[in-house]
Amino acid sequence: MALSLSRSAAIPRTAPLGVPRDRRRVTAQGAPWLFLAPIMAIFVVLYAIPLGQSLWFSFTDANGYTTDMHWIGLANYAAAFKDPEMVSALWFTLAYAAITTVAITCLAIPLAVVLNTRFPGRDVVRSVFFFPAVPSIAVLGMVWGFILNPLGSGVLNSALHAVVGIGPVPWLSDPHLAQISVIVVAVWAQTGWHAILYLAYLQSIPSDYYDAATIDGAGRVRMFRSITLPLLTPAITVSQLLLMTGGLKVYDLPFTLTHGGPGFATRTVTQSLIEQGVAQADIGKASALAVLFLLLVGAIILGQMTVSRRLEARYT
Amino acid sequence: MTRTRGWLTSAIMLIVAAAMAVPFYYILVNTFKSQDETARSPLALPIHATLAHYAQVLATTNVVGSFLNTLYVTVFSVALMVLVGSMAAYGMILGRTKLTAAVGGLLAVAFLVPGQATLIPIYQMLVDARLVDSLNGLVVIYSCGSIFCYYLILGYMRTVPAEVLEAARIDGAGAGRIFFAIVLPLIRPILITVSVFQTMWVWNDFIIPNVFISTPEKQTLVLLAYSAVGQFTTDWPTFMTLTVILLVPVVIFFLFMQRYIVDGLTQGSVKG
Repeated sequence: MALSLSRSAAIPRTAPLGVPRDRRRVTAQGAPWLFLAPIMAIFVVLYAIPLGQSLWFSFTDANGYTTDMHWIGLANYAAAFKDPEMVSALWFTLAYAAITTVAITCLAIPLAVVLNTRFPGRDVVRSVFFFPAVPSIAVLGMVWGFILNPLGSGVLNSALHAVVGIGPVPWLSDPHLAQISVIVVAVWAQTGWHAILYLAYLQSIPSDYYDAATIDGAGRVRMFRSITLPLLTPAITVSQLLLMTGGLKVYDLPFTLTHGGPGFATRTVTQSLIEQGVAQADIGKASALAVLFLLLVGAIILGQMTVSRRLEARYT
Repeated sequence: MTRTRGWLTSAIMLIVAAAMAVPFYYILVNTFKSQDETARSPLALPIHATLAHYAQVLATTNVVGSFLNTLYVTVFSVALMVLVGSMAAYGMILGRTKLTAAVGGLLAVAFLVPGQATLIPIYQMLVDARLVDSLNGLVVIYSCGSIFCYYLILGYMRTVPAEVLEAARIDGAGAGRIFFAIVLPLIRPILITVSVFQTMWVWNDFIIPNVFISTPEKQTLVLLAYSAVGQFTTDWPTFMTLTVILLVPVVIFFLFMQRYIVDGLTQGSVKG
C-alpha cells in the first residue's frame, strides 16, 4: 500500500518551459493555501468543532434523546466526581499509566544495553522481544484472557495445578490480582518496543567514549552511570512521554482482558467515557469527564516536558 | 573471556525470549491438535496434526469478509492521511507567512489533543451524517492521523534542497506539478515509513471499530476476534485458530517491513 502511493506519485516527468511570468507569482502566493486546505478542514471538523462541543456539552444537560438542552453550570463536574465508576476509572488509569511507565523504563534500558552487546542469536532475541508490539494489543488482551482465565480450566491455572498442585488462582476475578494482571500484560507487550527505541539511541553513542573511560580506569557501572544514562536522556524523554500519554489514553488492553472488572477495578477513563457518553447517552456528564481528562493529560505532558527539558539541559 | 560472556548472555537471553514467546507458541501449536490432545499435553508438538479447526473457522466465521473490510479501511485511510499530511508539510515549506505560522501552531495543539476529548461530539456528528456503522465513516475518523503524518513528513521535507524546487519553478512547473513530480518521489523513504506506521495503527485498532461498527458484516478483523471471544467461550481451539489466522498477515507485514518499522520508531521519536 505504501509503495503504490509513492509510485503513482512519480508519473509526471518533464516540466514544460516558457510559462508566463505572472503564473509563477500566482502559484507562489496561492499555493500554500491550497496545500494546507485539506488538513485545515480536518482540523476544523474533527478537532476544533468537537472540542468546542465537548466543552459546551459539559455545562449542559445534553442527552442523545432530545435536542433541547439547558445550561446547568458545573453540575456535571460535581456529578462526575461523585460517580464511583468515574472516580475509580480515574484512579486506575493514573496508576496504570504511572506504574507501566516506571516498570517499562526500568526494564527496557538494561534490556537495550544487553541487546547492544555482541552475542550469538542477538537478532533473533531482538525480534522476539519486539514482536508483541506488532499484533493488535486488543487481540493480545483476548489471548491473555484465555491464559489467565480464573476457572480451574484456564491455561495458566491448569498448568499450575499440574506442576505445583495448587488450586485455581483468581487472576482476573480478584480486584487486585486483576489490576496486577493487566499491568503485567502491558509490560510484557511494550517493553521490547521501548528497548528497541533505546537501542537506536545507544547505537549512536560513539565507542570512543567508552574507550577513553576504560583507559581512565572506569568500571562498567561507572560507565553506565556517567556515559550511557546521561546520553540516553533524550530517549528517556521520548519513551516516557509515549508511555505516559499511551497509558492515560489506554482502553484496548484492560477492556479485552477484564472488561474493566471485576466491579470497576480495572475500568479506564476511556471506557467510562464511551459507556456513559455513547452507550448510555449521558452526554453532559461524559463530556465533563472528557474535559477533565483533556486538562489532566495536558498538565501531565507539560509537567513531564518541563522536567525532562531540565534534565536534558543538565546532562547534554 | 569476552567469548564466554557472549555465550552466557546468549543462553540467558534466549531463555528469557523463549519465556516471552510462550503465549504465541501455545496458541499456534494447539490449533493443530484435537481438544483432547490439548488437554493432555498443552505444550507438546501435535502428534496427530489436524486442520479441522481451520476448516471450522473458515466455515463458521466471516473471516474473509472481515479481512476485506479491514483492507478497505486501511488502504483508504492510510492513502488519505499520507496525502493530506504531505500536502500540508509541503504547504508549510512553500513560504513562511502569518498563515503558515498560525496553521503550524494550531496543528501542534491538535497533535496533543487525545481522541477521547472529541469522541462524543464526533459520534454525534457521524450519526447526523449517517456515517455510523459504515466503513467510510471509519475512514473519516482515521483521517485525524493526517496530523501525525504531517509532523513526521515535515521534518524530512525540510531536507529537500530549496534549489531543486527553485529550479523546477524557473522551468515553469506549477506548485501542484512540483509537489507530485518532484517532492513526493524525493521524500519516498519517509512516505514508506509513515505508511507502515499508520497501517499498523489502523489495521490493529480496536477502539474506533468497537464504538462505531455494530453490523457483523462490517466488522474489522480485530472486532471479529472480539465477538468470537463471547461466541466461543467454551470452544478455545476455534478462538485460538481465529487468532492465528489474524496474526498471519500481520506477521508477513512485520517480516517485510521490519526495517521500516524500526526506522519509523526512531524518526518518529526524534521528530515527534
